[in-house]
Amino acid sequence: MERISDKQKILIVDDSEMNRSILADMLGDEYEILEAENGNEGVAMLQKRGSEISLVLLDIVMPELDGFGVLNIMNKNRWIEDIPVIMISAESGSTHVERAFDLGVTDFISRPFDALIVRRRVVNTVLLYAKQKKLVSLVAEQIYEKERTSSLMIDILSHIVEFRNGESGMHVRHVHILTETLLTALMRKTDKYHLTPADISVISTASALHDIGKIAIPEEILNKPGRFTPEEFAVMKSHSMVGAEMLEALPDDYRDEPLVKAAYEICRWHHERWDGKGYPDGLKEDEIPISAQMVALADVYDALTSERVYKPAYSHQRAIEMILGGECGTFNPLVMECLRDNADLIREELEGDNALRQNQREMQNVARELHKHEELTASERTLELLEHERMKYSFFAAMTEEVQFEYTVQPPMVTLTAWGAEKLGLPEITLDPLHDEKSLHRLGQENWRGLADALHATTPGHPVITYDCMLNMDGEYRWTRIVARATWSSDEPPRYTGAIGKVIDIHDSRMMMDNLERMATHDAMTGLLNHATAKKRIQERLAERPDGKFALAIIDLDHFKQANDTYGHLFGDGVLIHLAGKLRQCIRGGDIAARVGGDEFLILLECKMEVEPAIQRIFASLEGRYKEFPISVSMGVATTQEQGTNYDALFQAADQALYTVKRSGRGQYRFYDDGMEGTLSVISPIDGERPAEN
Amino acid sequence: MTLQECYAALGGDYDEVLGRLRSERMIQKFVLRFLEDKSYDLLCASMESGNYEEAFRAAHTIKGVCQNLSFTLLGKSSSELSEALRNGYTPEADALVEQVKAEYQQTAQAIRAFQEATAG
Repeated sequence: MERISDKQKILIVDDSEMNRSILADMLGDEYEILEAENGNEGVAMLQKRGSEISLVLLDIVMPELDGFGVLNIMNKNRWIEDIPVIMISAESGSTHVERAFDLGVTDFISRPFDALIVRRRVVNTVLLYAKQKKLVSLVAEQIYEKERTSSLMIDILSHIVEFRNGESGMHVRHVHILTETLLTALMRKTDKYHLTPADISVISTASALHDIGKIAIPEEILNKPGRFTPEEFAVMKSHSMVGAEMLEALPDDYRDEPLVKAAYEICRWHHERWDGKGYPDGLKEDEIPISAQMVALADVYDALTSERVYKPAYSHQRAIEMILGGECGTFNPLVMECLRDNADLIREELEGDNALRQNQREMQNVARELHKHEELTASERTLELLEHERMKYSFFAAMTEEVQFEYTVQPPMVTLTAWGAEKLGLPEITLDPLHDEKSLHRLGQENWRGLADALHATTPGHPVITYDCMLNMDGEYRWTRIVARATWSSDEPPRYTGAIGKVIDIHDSRMMMDNLERMATHDAMTGLLNHATAKKRIQERLAERPDGKFALAIIDLDHFKQANDTYGHLFGDGVLIHLAGKLRQCIRGGDIAARVGGDEFLILLECKMEVEPAIQRIFASLEGRYKEFPISVSMGVATTQEQGTNYDALFQAADQALYTVKRSGRGQYRFYDDGMEGTLSVISPIDGERPAEN
Repeated sequence: MTLQECYAALGGDYDEVLGRLRSERMIQKFVLRFLEDKSYDLLCASMESGNYEEAFRAAHTIKGVCQNLSFTLLGKSSSELSEALRNGYTPEADALVEQVKAEYQQTAQAIRAFQEATAG
C-alpha cells in the first residue's frame, strides 16, 4: 500500500544498488527516494506515479533499457515537459552529453559523486520546476479570466444593439451557434478555406458584432413597422459600412487582432450575396470572405425563424426549405450543402442551447488557448485532481484480490495489479507485451491475438468486451473471463489508445455447469449415456440421415441377479462396468451406446454393409468372463430398413426381439420379425431410478 | 586497521573520497558494502559464457562504484576493461580481466581485514 508523504519524490534509476544508495544517502531525509534498477522499471514507475515525481536521476548504461531509451519514452509521452531529468554517468564523451541535452535532460552529474554538488543540483532543479508549475497555473487562470471578460464585453455590446432594435438578444446567440456549426461542418467537408478550430472560434465570437453599425441608424427608421421608402432603405443599408468603419477607427493595437479583423469582414460584407446582388460592395462568390458568407446565411435563417412586425415566425423546416429553394438570395453551393446536411444538428444545437453549453464553449476555448502554448500543459489544479485519482486507483487496486490490468498502446505496456501479477506469474509491468516472450508464453499467443482483435474492433460508443479463455493461474490452467474496456482518444477521428480491464476466474462455475450437464446426460456408474439422452441423440441421428441403414440393439446381461446374489452388489457393479467398457470398444465414432435399464444396454449402429455380420461380431466380443463370472448376453435387434425411422417403434421391436430370446433360453441374438408382435417388455428399472419410459 | 590503512592497502585515495562524501561514517558504510555488490560475480560469469555485452555493463558498474569510493587501482583497470568491451570483444580484454580479478582480490582482502578489525 502506498504511504502518503508530503516530501518531494525523487526517482533514482541506476543498475548499481551501491550507486543508488550513495545518492540516496547524499540527498538525505529531505526527499522521498524511489528506486528503479533498470530503464524498464524506471518507465513503469513514471507511468505509475507520473508528475508526483519531482525529479529523475538517470544512469545511462543499464540492462533491459538504457538511459537514452528512458528519455525517448519520456519524450514520446511528453513526460519530459513536466518531470526534470538529471543524468548521472561516468560517461563523459561529449556526444553522450549532447545527445542527452537534445533529449531534454536538465543537468548532468558525473561520477565520482560529490555530495555537495549532487545536493545543490537536485535542489536547484526541483525549485526551478516548482516555480514553473506555479507560473503555469497562474497563466492558465489569467487566460481563462481574459477569455471570460472578452466574451462578456462582446455580449454586452451586442445586446445594446439588439435592445435598440427591439430584439430579445437571442438573435446574436443564434447567429453565433449557427455560424459555429456551419463552419465546423464546412471545415470537415473541405480544406478549401484553410479553416482551423481557432479560426472558427474567432469568427463565431466576432459574429456577435455583425449589426453594430445599426447604432448609427435613427430609431424611427430602425423600428419602422411599415415598408421603407427608397431613401430610408438606403440609410438602413448603410449599417454594414458604418459598422466596418467603427472597427477600422479602433486604435492600431486592436486593428491587428484576429477578432477585430474577422468582425470587420463580417460587419462590412454580411449583406453581400453569392451572385453579386448584395450590398455595399456588390462582391460575388468567393470575393466575399467565408466569415461574412456564413454570418449572412445565419442572419437570414434566424430572421426567417423569428417573428417580425411584418411576418410570422417560420418553422425550422420551412426556413431551411426557403433558403435551399433560393427564396432569400443565392449562397455558396458548398455552404448550402453544409446547411442541408446538418439541418437536424442545427435544430438540436439551437434547441439545446443554454448557459451550460456556453460554459462548455468557454472551456473549450481555454483548452485551445492552453494548447497553443506548448509549455502550458495543464493547470496545477487539474494535476492535483489527477494525482488524487491516481492515488485512489492504486490504493483500491492494491486492496482488491483481482487480476486487473491496464494496457497502453503508447508506450506499449501492460500494468497488472500486484495480486494479479503474482497470480499470472508475470511482472507488474511488461513493456512491449506483444513481443515479450514470457507474457506470450504465459497467456498464449492465441489469447493475445483474440483479445487484441476484440479490443480493436470496439468503437468509442461500445468499448466493452468480454473474452473467455483458459489462462495459467498459479500454475494451473483455469477458465477465465476477461472483461475489458477499450480506451479511445477524444480526437477526431478517435484513436485506440489501450484498454483497462479485469480477469475473472470462472473455472469453478464453468466446471460445475459442465458437470451438471454430464450428470444429466450420463449414467453415473458406467459413464454411458442414460436412456433419455440416448433417445434424443438417436432421434437426432435418424433425422439427420433418413436414408441410413441403422440397427438398434438392446442387450441384456444373462443371470445378472445370480452374480449379485453370489458375489455381492459391488461385484455386480463391476460386471456392469466391464460390459459397458466392452460395448464402448466395439462401437465406432458415430454410434451410440447407453445403459437403459438395470442390466440392459442399448446400442445404435450404422451399417454400411450387411447388418447381421456386424451384430454377430459384437455379440461374440461381449461373451467372456469377468473374474469368476462367465458373461453371457441376450440381444434383440431391430433395423430401420424393416421398422422405419420412428424411434419408439424401433425400440419396441428390439425389446420384443429380446423378450423372445430370453424366453427361448438366453445367450443368443435375434432380429425382430412380425411373429413377435404383442410380446412383453424386459426392460427393468435401474436402482434408484424410475423405470425408463417406453 | 583503520579506514585510511584499508584505503592504502587496496590502492585507493582516502583524502579524495573524504573530500567528496564528507563523512567517515558514510565512507565506511559503503566500503563495507562493496563486497555485497554482485557485479564482480556477474563479470566473471559473463566472460566465461562469452556474453560480452553483459560483461561490459558489469565492468562499467564496477568502474562507477570504484569511482564513487575512490578505489583508484581497481577503478582504473575496470575502466580499461569496460572500454575494451564497449563495442564487443577485443583481444585486450583477456589480459585486462585477469588484472581486474587480481586487483579485485586485493581490494576484497583489504576490506575483509578492515572488517575484522572493526568487528573486533
